[in-house]
Amino acid sequence: MANGKSGDKGLRAIVIGMIVFVITITGVFIYFDKKPVTNVASPGSISKADGSGLVFNPELTNQIDIWEDFQCPVCARFEQTNGDYIEKLIEEKKAKVVFHTLSFLGPESVLAANAAACASDENKFLGFHRAFYQNLPAENSGAVTADYLVALGQGVGITSDKFKSCVANLDYNGWVNNVAASGGEANVNSTPTVFVNGKEIRRATSGADLGDYFDPAAFARAVEGK
Amino acid sequence: MNLKLQITKFQPWLTFVFRLILGGVLLVAGGLKVTDPYASATSVRAYQILPVDLANFLGFVLPFAEVVIGIFLIVGIWVRLNAIAGGALMVMFIIAIGQAWIRGISLDCGCFGKGGLLETDELPVWNYTIEIARDIVLAVFAFYIYRFPKGKLGLDK
Repeated sequence: MANGKSGDKGLRAIVIGMIVFVITITGVFIYFDKKPVTNVASPGSISKADGSGLVFNPELTNQIDIWEDFQCPVCARFEQTNGDYIEKLIEEKKAKVVFHTLSFLGPESVLAANAAACASDENKFLGFHRAFYQNLPAENSGAVTADYLVALGQGVGITSDKFKSCVANLDYNGWVNNVAASGGEANVNSTPTVFVNGKEIRRATSGADLGDYFDPAAFARAVEGK
Repeated sequence: MNLKLQITKFQPWLTFVFRLILGGVLLVAGGLKVTDPYASATSVRAYQILPVDLANFLGFVLPFAEVVIGIFLIVGIWVRLNAIAGGALMVMFIIAIGQAWIRGISLDCGCFGKGGLLETDELPVWNYTIEIARDIVLAVFAFYIYRFPKGKLGLDK
C-alpha cells in the first residue's frame, strides 16, 4: 500500500465509493421495507386511530391499551395474571380493549405478531394469544416457526388453509411494522405497557411491590377507575 | 530517548490496532441494530433525554452512523475525522448511561441490539459500570487515533 501515490489514490476512491454505495443501497432498502405505509394489508379488526392495534368492542369508551411483545416473558406473566379478567371484560362488553403487538425483541416476535393477526381474522385472537404465552419458548431460539404457529393455531381450533398461508407468507408483515412505528409515536419503551383511558397504570417500584400490572385486584381497580 | 524511539516505532501499529478495535466495535454494534430501526428507536427512547420524535429519528440513523464510522476506521479513511466522530459517540453513550444511572432509570443500554426499559426498578449497576468503563476505554482509543492518526494498513496518506 506504500508505493505508488496514484494507485493508492485510486484504491482509496474505489473503497470510499464502494462503502458509500453499499451503505446507501442498504439504507434505501431498509427505509422502504420499514416505512409505515397506509395501504398495507391489515387484519379486519384494527383501528388506525388506535395505532393500528387489534380492537375489541370498538363502540365502548372505557379503553384499555395493551402494548406487548409475544416473546416478552413479563408479558406472559401479565397475561397469566390478568388474561381471564381481560377476556371477561371483552365478553361482557365492559371495556374497549386494544392489543398492540410490538416486535422489538426480534424476528420471532414478528412471526408471532403476524400469526396473531391471522388468528384475529378467524376470530381466534384471544385463544391464540393465550396459547402462545402458555407455551412461551425461549427468546429467538428458533422455536417459533410458521409450522409451530400453525400447530398452535390448530390447538385453538383454527384449521383453515387461509390461516396457514397467512402465517407462512407473513401476510401482515407490513401491518406489524406499522404497529412498531405507532409504538414509537406513543413512546412505549418497554413491554408490557398498559394504558387505561390513555393513562399508564402503576408500575412496581420494588421487588416486593407488584404494582397494577401483577396484582389482579390492583389491576381491576385501575381498570374500573377506583 | 530509547523509550521515545520505541514508542515512535510502535505508534503506527498501536494506531492500527486501536482503529480495528474501535471500528470493529462500532461496526458490530451498528450492524446488529441496523435491520431493526424500531427496536433501535425503542432503545433510544428509553433513555428519556430527547423528545420522542428526536429519539425515534436518532434511533433510525445511529446504527447507520456506527456502521459507516466503523468501516472508515477499519480501512483507515479520514481517520482523524472518524476518530472524532467515534469518540464523540462514546462520550454521548457515557453521558446517556450515566444520566440514566443518576436518575434511577433501569434500562438495557441497547448497545448491541434490542434495548428498552427493564421490568424491575433495581438498577443494573454492574452492567452500567461495565458499559461506561468500556466506553471510556474506547474514547481513549479514539483520542489516541486522533492524536496519532498515521497508522499501519490505512488508506489515508
